[in-house]
Amino acid sequence: MGSKDRVWEVFRQEAEGDPMIHGGSVRAPDEELATHYAREFYGRRQESERLWIVPRDAILELDDPDLLKPPFDRSFKRPGGFLIKHKLEAARERAGSPQVEEMEE
Amino acid sequence: MTDLDRETRDALAELLLAMADDEFVLGFWDSEWTGIAPILEEDVAMSSVSQDEIGHAKALYELLAELTGGDADVIAFGRPVDGYRHAALMNHARTDWAFSIARRFLYENADAVRLESLAASAYRPLAELAVKMRREETYHLLHFDLWLRRLAEGSDESHARLAAAIERLWPDAQAVFAPLAGEALLVAAGILPEPLETLRARWLERVSPRLTAAHLPVPAIPDRPGADGRTRRTDEFAWLHGEFTAVASSEADATW
Repeated sequence: MGSKDRVWEVFRQEAEGDPMIHGGSVRAPDEELATHYAREFYGRRQESERLWIVPRDAILELDDPDLLKPPFDRSFKRPGGFLIKHKLEAARERAGSPQVEEMEE
Repeated sequence: MTDLDRETRDALAELLLAMADDEFVLGFWDSEWTGIAPILEEDVAMSSVSQDEIGHAKALYELLAELTGGDADVIAFGRPVDGYRHAALMNHARTDWAFSIARRFLYENADAVRLESLAASAYRPLAELAVKMRREETYHLLHFDLWLRRLAEGSDESHARLAAAIERLWPDAQAVFAPLAGEALLVAAGILPEPLETLRARWLERVSPRLTAAHLPVPAIPDRPGADGRTRRTDEFAWLHGEFTAVASSEADATW
Protein backbone atom coordinates (compact mmCIF):
# COMPACT_ATOMS: atom_id res chain seq x y z
CA MET A 1 0.00 0.00 0.00
CA GLY A 2 1.00 3.61 0.04
CA SER A 3 2.26 4.95 -3.27
CA LYS A 4 -0.10 2.72 -5.28
CA ASP A 5 -3.18 3.92 -3.41
CA ARG A 6 -5.90 5.67 -5.34
CA VAL A 7 -8.72 7.86 -4.14
CA TRP A 8 -12.26 6.60 -4.74
CA GLU A 9 -15.34 8.79 -4.48
CA VAL A 10 -18.30 7.13 -2.85
CA PHE A 11 -21.93 7.93 -3.62
CA ARG A 12 -24.73 6.53 -1.54
CA GLN A 13 -28.45 5.99 -1.83
CA GLU A 14 -30.37 6.13 1.41
CA ALA A 15 -33.54 4.45 0.19
CA GLU A 16 -34.62 2.71 -3.00
CA GLY A 17 -35.58 5.40 -5.51
CA ASP A 18 -33.60 8.19 -3.82
CA PRO A 19 -30.90 9.99 -5.81
CA MET A 20 -27.27 8.96 -5.33
CA ILE A 21 -25.58 11.54 -3.10
CA HIS A 22 -21.86 12.05 -2.66
CA GLY A 23 -20.86 10.59 0.71
CA GLY A 24 -17.10 11.17 0.73
CA SER A 25 -14.00 9.32 -0.34
CA VAL A 26 -11.76 6.42 0.65
CA ARG A 27 -8.17 5.56 -0.19
CA ALA A 28 -7.46 2.04 -1.45
CA PRO A 29 -5.04 0.29 -3.82
CA ASP A 30 -7.63 -1.59 -5.90
CA GLU A 31 -11.33 -2.01 -6.67
CA GLU A 32 -11.79 -4.86 -4.23
CA LEU A 33 -10.45 -3.04 -1.17
CA ALA A 34 -12.13 0.19 -2.29
CA THR A 35 -15.45 -1.67 -2.21
CA HIS A 36 -14.76 -3.06 1.26
CA TYR A 37 -13.72 0.29 2.67
CA ALA A 38 -16.67 2.08 1.07
CA ARG A 39 -18.89 -0.47 2.79
CA GLU A 40 -17.18 0.18 6.13
CA PHE A 41 -17.29 3.96 5.87
CA TYR A 42 -20.67 4.51 4.20
CA GLY A 43 -22.70 1.39 4.82
CA ARG A 44 -21.79 -0.46 7.99
CA ARG A 45 -24.57 1.16 10.03
CA GLN A 46 -27.18 0.02 7.51
CA GLU A 47 -27.57 3.62 6.36
CA SER A 48 -27.22 2.88 2.64
CA GLU A 49 -29.34 0.97 0.16
CA ARG A 50 -26.67 1.13 -2.54
CA LEU A 51 -23.16 2.53 -3.06
CA TRP A 52 -21.38 3.73 -6.18
CA ILE A 53 -17.60 3.62 -5.91
CA VAL A 54 -15.79 5.63 -8.57
CA PRO A 55 -12.06 6.20 -9.01
CA ARG A 56 -11.54 9.94 -8.64
CA ASP A 57 -9.38 10.06 -11.77
CA ALA A 58 -12.31 8.68 -13.81
CA ILE A 59 -14.38 11.73 -12.96
CA LEU A 60 -14.47 14.51 -15.55
CA GLU A 61 -14.43 17.83 -13.78
CA LEU A 62 -15.86 21.01 -15.24
CA ASP A 63 -15.40 24.19 -13.25
CA ASP A 64 -14.69 26.83 -15.94
CA PRO A 65 -16.62 29.97 -14.90
CA ASP A 66 -16.93 31.09 -18.52
CA LEU A 67 -18.95 27.94 -19.14
CA LEU A 68 -20.77 27.68 -15.83
CA LYS A 69 -21.23 31.28 -14.67
CA PRO A 70 -21.31 33.53 -17.77
CA PRO A 71 -21.73 37.21 -16.84
CA PHE A 72 -25.12 37.84 -18.49
CA ASP A 73 -28.60 37.52 -17.09
CA ARG A 74 -29.59 33.93 -17.72
CA SER A 75 -32.84 33.98 -15.77
CA PHE A 76 -34.81 33.22 -18.92
CA LYS A 77 -33.06 29.85 -19.10
CA ARG A 78 -34.33 28.82 -15.70
CA PRO A 79 -37.31 26.51 -15.62
CA GLY A 80 -39.42 29.23 -13.93
CA GLY A 81 -39.40 31.19 -17.19
CA PHE A 82 -40.35 34.87 -17.46
CA LEU A 83 -42.01 36.72 -14.65
CA ILE A 84 -45.47 37.46 -16.07
CA LYS A 85 -47.28 38.34 -12.83
CA HIS A 86 -47.38 42.10 -13.56
CA LYS A 87 -48.34 41.64 -17.19
CA LEU A 88 -51.14 39.36 -16.12
CA GLU A 89 -52.44 41.91 -13.56
CA ALA A 90 -52.44 44.66 -16.18
CA ALA A 91 -54.33 42.47 -18.62
CA ARG A 92 -56.95 41.58 -16.01
CA GLU A 93 -57.43 45.24 -15.11
CA ARG A 94 -58.10 46.09 -18.73
CA ALA A 95 -60.57 43.23 -19.04
CA GLY A 96 -62.22 43.99 -15.66
CA SER A 97 -61.75 40.47 -14.40
CA PRO A 98 -61.28 39.68 -10.68
CA GLN A 99 -57.84 40.12 -9.05
CA VAL A 100 -55.59 37.20 -8.47
CA GLU A 101 -56.11 37.35 -4.68
CA GLU A 102 -59.87 37.11 -5.06
CA MET A 103 -59.58 34.21 -7.43
CA GLU A 104 -57.53 32.30 -4.96
CA GLU A 105 -60.17 32.54 -2.23
CA MET B 1 -37.94 -27.52 21.65
CA THR B 2 -38.20 -26.72 25.33
CA ASP B 3 -38.41 -30.34 26.39
CA LEU B 4 -34.67 -31.00 26.30
CA ASP B 5 -33.44 -33.53 28.80
CA ARG B 6 -30.77 -32.37 31.18
CA GLU B 7 -27.82 -34.02 29.41
CA THR B 8 -28.80 -32.62 26.02
CA ARG B 9 -29.35 -29.18 27.49
CA ASP B 10 -25.90 -29.26 29.11
CA ALA B 11 -24.35 -30.32 25.80
CA LEU B 12 -26.14 -27.49 24.00
CA ALA B 13 -24.87 -25.07 26.63
CA GLU B 14 -21.31 -26.29 25.94
CA LEU B 15 -21.78 -25.71 22.21
CA LEU B 16 -23.16 -22.19 22.69
CA LEU B 17 -20.38 -21.32 25.11
CA ALA B 18 -17.71 -22.61 22.73
CA MET B 19 -19.04 -20.54 19.85
CA ALA B 20 -19.60 -17.44 21.96
CA ASP B 21 -16.11 -17.59 23.43
CA ASP B 22 -14.54 -18.01 19.97
CA GLU B 23 -16.21 -14.82 18.78
CA PHE B 24 -15.68 -12.93 22.03
CA VAL B 25 -11.96 -13.62 22.44
CA LEU B 26 -11.14 -13.10 18.77
CA GLY B 27 -13.10 -9.84 18.84
CA PHE B 28 -10.96 -8.62 21.72
CA TRP B 29 -7.66 -9.71 20.18
CA ASP B 30 -8.33 -7.96 16.89
CA SER B 31 -9.77 -4.84 18.48
CA GLU B 32 -6.16 -4.28 19.54
CA TRP B 33 -5.49 -3.18 15.96
CA THR B 34 -7.61 -0.09 16.52
CA GLY B 35 -5.29 2.86 15.97
CA ILE B 36 -2.36 0.86 14.58
CA ALA B 37 -3.69 -0.99 11.51
CA PRO B 38 -1.71 -0.51 8.25
CA ILE B 39 -3.84 2.37 6.95
CA LEU B 40 -6.71 4.43 8.31
CA GLU B 41 -9.31 2.66 6.17
CA GLU B 42 -8.18 -0.76 7.36
CA ASP B 43 -8.14 0.52 10.93
CA VAL B 44 -11.85 1.26 10.66
CA ALA B 45 -12.52 -2.03 8.85
CA MET B 46 -10.69 -4.21 11.39
CA SER B 47 -12.29 -2.39 14.32
CA SER B 48 -15.72 -2.80 12.78
CA VAL B 49 -15.22 -6.51 12.13
CA SER B 50 -14.05 -6.95 15.73
CA GLN B 51 -17.17 -5.20 16.96
CA ASP B 52 -19.26 -7.53 14.80
CA GLU B 53 -17.71 -10.50 16.61
CA ILE B 54 -18.45 -9.04 20.03
CA GLY B 55 -22.02 -8.53 18.80
CA HIS B 56 -22.26 -12.17 17.74
CA ALA B 57 -20.80 -13.26 21.08
CA LYS B 58 -23.44 -11.17 22.87
CA ALA B 59 -26.26 -12.84 20.93
CA LEU B 60 -24.82 -16.30 21.72
CA TYR B 61 -24.30 -15.51 25.43
CA GLU B 62 -27.91 -14.33 25.56
CA LEU B 63 -29.12 -17.59 24.01
CA LEU B 64 -27.07 -19.45 26.58
CA ALA B 65 -28.42 -17.31 29.42
CA GLU B 66 -31.99 -18.04 28.29
CA LEU B 67 -31.25 -21.74 28.21
CA THR B 68 -29.56 -21.93 31.60
CA GLY B 69 -31.22 -19.06 33.44
CA GLY B 70 -27.96 -17.13 33.78
CA ASP B 71 -26.95 -13.57 32.93
CA ALA B 72 -25.15 -12.86 29.65
CA ASP B 73 -22.79 -10.23 31.12
CA VAL B 74 -21.84 -12.46 34.03
CA ILE B 75 -21.12 -15.33 31.63
CA ALA B 76 -19.05 -13.06 29.39
CA PHE B 77 -16.99 -11.28 32.04
CA GLY B 78 -17.42 -13.26 35.24
CA ARG B 79 -15.36 -16.38 34.60
CA PRO B 80 -11.78 -17.17 35.57
CA VAL B 81 -9.19 -17.81 32.84
CA ASP B 82 -9.74 -21.57 32.80
CA GLY B 83 -13.51 -21.15 32.54
CA TYR B 84 -13.32 -20.02 28.90
CA ARG B 85 -14.02 -22.49 26.09
CA HIS B 86 -12.65 -20.82 22.95
CA ALA B 87 -10.61 -22.94 20.56
CA ALA B 88 -6.83 -22.97 21.12
CA LEU B 89 -6.59 -20.87 17.92
CA MET B 90 -7.68 -17.90 20.01
CA ASN B 91 -5.01 -18.49 22.69
CA HIS B 92 -2.43 -16.52 20.71
CA ALA B 93 -1.68 -12.82 20.95
CA ARG B 94 -2.34 -10.49 18.03
CA THR B 95 1.37 -10.71 17.05
CA ASP B 96 1.97 -9.08 13.60
CA TRP B 97 -0.47 -8.21 10.81
CA ALA B 98 0.24 -11.39 8.84
CA PHE B 99 -0.42 -13.48 11.95
CA SER B 100 -3.74 -11.76 12.62
CA ILE B 101 -4.77 -12.16 8.97
CA ALA B 102 -3.78 -15.84 8.96
CA ARG B 103 -5.84 -16.50 12.07
CA ARG B 104 -8.79 -14.60 10.64
CA PHE B 105 -8.65 -16.51 7.39
CA LEU B 106 -8.57 -19.86 9.18
CA TYR B 107 -11.27 -18.89 11.66
CA GLU B 108 -13.70 -17.17 9.31
CA ASN B 109 -13.77 -20.21 7.06
CA ALA B 110 -14.26 -22.54 10.03
CA ASP B 111 -17.01 -20.33 11.39
CA ALA B 112 -18.71 -20.23 7.99
CA VAL B 113 -18.76 -24.03 7.80
CA ARG B 114 -20.13 -24.23 11.33
CA LEU B 115 -22.85 -21.63 10.75
CA GLU B 116 -23.94 -23.14 7.42
CA SER B 117 -24.51 -26.43 9.17
CA LEU B 118 -26.24 -24.89 12.21
CA ALA B 119 -28.69 -23.04 9.99
CA ALA B 120 -30.46 -26.42 9.88
CA SER B 121 -30.31 -26.94 13.65
CA ALA B 122 -33.36 -28.47 15.32
CA TYR B 123 -32.89 -25.91 18.11
CA ARG B 124 -34.77 -23.07 16.42
CA PRO B 125 -33.23 -20.11 18.27
CA LEU B 126 -29.75 -21.29 17.28
CA ALA B 127 -30.79 -21.97 13.66
CA GLU B 128 -32.27 -18.48 13.38
CA LEU B 129 -29.20 -16.84 14.92
CA ALA B 130 -26.89 -18.84 12.62
CA VAL B 131 -28.75 -17.53 9.57
CA LYS B 132 -28.41 -13.94 10.81
CA MET B 133 -24.73 -14.32 11.68
CA ARG B 134 -23.94 -15.86 8.29
CA ARG B 135 -25.14 -12.75 6.50
CA GLU B 136 -22.69 -10.59 8.44
CA GLU B 137 -19.90 -13.14 8.17
CA THR B 138 -20.13 -13.05 4.36
CA TYR B 139 -18.24 -9.79 4.40
CA HIS B 140 -15.69 -11.08 6.91
CA LEU B 141 -14.92 -14.04 4.64
CA LEU B 142 -14.44 -11.78 1.62
CA HIS B 143 -12.30 -9.31 3.51
CA PHE B 144 -9.86 -11.80 4.98
CA ASP B 145 -9.66 -13.88 1.84
CA LEU B 146 -8.63 -10.70 0.08
CA TRP B 147 -5.98 -9.91 2.71
CA LEU B 148 -4.61 -13.43 2.57
CA ARG B 149 -4.07 -12.99 -1.19
CA ARG B 150 -2.62 -9.50 -0.79
CA LEU B 151 -0.01 -10.61 1.71
CA ALA B 152 0.73 -13.84 -0.17
CA GLU B 153 1.30 -11.94 -3.41
CA GLY B 154 2.87 -8.88 -1.77
CA SER B 155 6.57 -8.92 -0.91
CA ASP B 156 8.85 -11.82 -0.03
CA GLU B 157 8.61 -10.70 3.55
CA SER B 158 4.82 -10.59 3.69
CA HIS B 159 4.65 -14.02 2.04
CA ALA B 160 7.18 -15.49 4.46
CA ARG B 161 5.45 -14.04 7.53
CA LEU B 162 2.07 -15.29 6.35
CA ALA B 163 3.36 -18.80 5.59
CA ALA B 164 5.02 -18.97 9.02
CA ALA B 165 1.80 -17.83 10.73
CA ILE B 166 -0.32 -20.44 8.90
CA GLU B 167 2.19 -23.12 9.89
CA ARG B 168 2.15 -22.06 13.52
CA LEU B 169 -1.63 -21.68 13.82
CA TRP B 170 -2.57 -24.78 11.83
CA PRO B 171 -2.70 -27.31 14.71
CA ASP B 172 -4.66 -24.96 16.97
CA ALA B 173 -7.05 -24.04 14.16
CA GLN B 174 -8.20 -27.68 14.08
CA ALA B 175 -9.42 -27.16 17.64
CA VAL B 176 -12.39 -25.10 16.40
CA PHE B 177 -13.76 -28.58 15.67
CA ALA B 178 -12.48 -30.25 18.85
CA PRO B 179 -14.98 -32.77 20.21
CA LEU B 180 -17.50 -31.40 22.69
CA ALA B 181 -18.81 -33.16 25.75
CA GLY B 182 -22.18 -34.54 24.74
CA GLU B 183 -21.59 -34.00 21.03
CA ALA B 184 -23.23 -37.35 20.19
CA LEU B 185 -26.39 -36.25 22.03
CA LEU B 186 -26.49 -32.99 20.05
CA VAL B 187 -26.12 -34.85 16.76
CA ALA B 188 -28.81 -37.37 17.75
CA ALA B 189 -31.20 -34.54 18.63
CA GLY B 190 -30.46 -32.72 15.35
CA ILE B 191 -29.23 -29.70 17.30
CA LEU B 192 -25.83 -30.18 15.72
CA PRO B 193 -26.89 -31.39 12.25
CA GLU B 194 -23.48 -32.95 11.51
CA PRO B 195 -20.60 -34.24 13.64
CA LEU B 196 -17.78 -31.72 14.17
CA GLU B 197 -15.34 -34.06 12.41
CA THR B 198 -17.49 -33.82 9.25
CA LEU B 199 -17.36 -30.03 9.53
CA ARG B 200 -13.59 -30.12 9.97
CA ALA B 201 -13.22 -32.16 6.77
CA ARG B 202 -15.39 -29.63 4.92
CA TRP B 203 -13.34 -26.75 6.29
CA LEU B 204 -10.10 -28.41 5.16
CA GLU B 205 -11.56 -28.90 1.69
CA ARG B 206 -12.28 -25.21 1.59
CA VAL B 207 -9.10 -23.66 3.00
CA SER B 208 -6.53 -26.00 1.41
CA PRO B 209 -7.16 -24.97 -2.23
CA ARG B 210 -7.21 -21.31 -1.22
CA LEU B 211 -3.81 -21.66 0.42
CA THR B 212 -2.46 -23.48 -2.63
CA ALA B 213 -3.85 -20.83 -4.96
CA ALA B 214 -2.03 -18.20 -2.90
CA HIS B 215 1.22 -20.22 -3.21
CA LEU B 216 1.20 -20.93 0.49
CA PRO B 217 2.17 -24.35 1.83
CA VAL B 218 -0.70 -26.48 3.17
CA PRO B 219 0.59 -28.05 6.37
CA ALA B 220 0.01 -31.75 7.03
CA ILE B 221 -3.54 -32.54 8.11
CA PRO B 222 -3.48 -33.58 11.75
CA ASP B 223 -5.64 -36.33 13.21
CA ARG B 224 -8.83 -35.48 15.01
CA PRO B 225 -8.14 -32.64 17.50
CA GLY B 226 -7.96 -33.68 21.13
CA ALA B 227 -10.67 -32.99 23.68
CA ASP B 228 -8.41 -30.35 25.28
CA GLY B 229 -8.66 -28.16 22.14
CA ARG B 230 -11.03 -25.86 24.00
CA THR B 231 -9.59 -26.08 27.51
CA ARG B 232 -5.85 -25.46 27.02
CA ARG B 233 -5.05 -21.87 28.05
CA THR B 234 -1.93 -19.75 27.64
CA ASP B 235 -0.26 -16.84 29.43
CA GLU B 236 -1.12 -14.69 26.44
CA PHE B 237 -4.81 -15.39 26.92
CA ALA B 238 -4.48 -14.85 30.68
CA TRP B 239 -3.13 -11.37 29.91
CA LEU B 240 -6.02 -10.61 27.55
CA HIS B 241 -8.50 -11.89 30.12
CA GLY B 242 -7.06 -9.39 32.62
CA GLU B 243 -7.60 -6.64 30.05
CA PHE B 244 -11.16 -7.43 29.04
CA THR B 245 -12.38 -8.09 32.57
CA ALA B 246 -10.61 -5.06 34.09
CA VAL B 247 -13.56 -2.68 33.96
CA ALA B 248 -16.29 -5.21 34.73
CA SER B 249 -14.39 -6.50 37.76
CA SER B 250 -13.51 -3.03 39.08
CA GLU B 251 -16.98 -2.87 40.65
CA ALA B 252 -18.66 -6.22 40.51
CA ASP B 253 -22.25 -5.18 41.24
CA ALA B 254 -22.29 -1.89 39.37
CA THR B 255 -25.09 -1.04 36.98
CA TRP B 256 -23.54 0.32 33.81
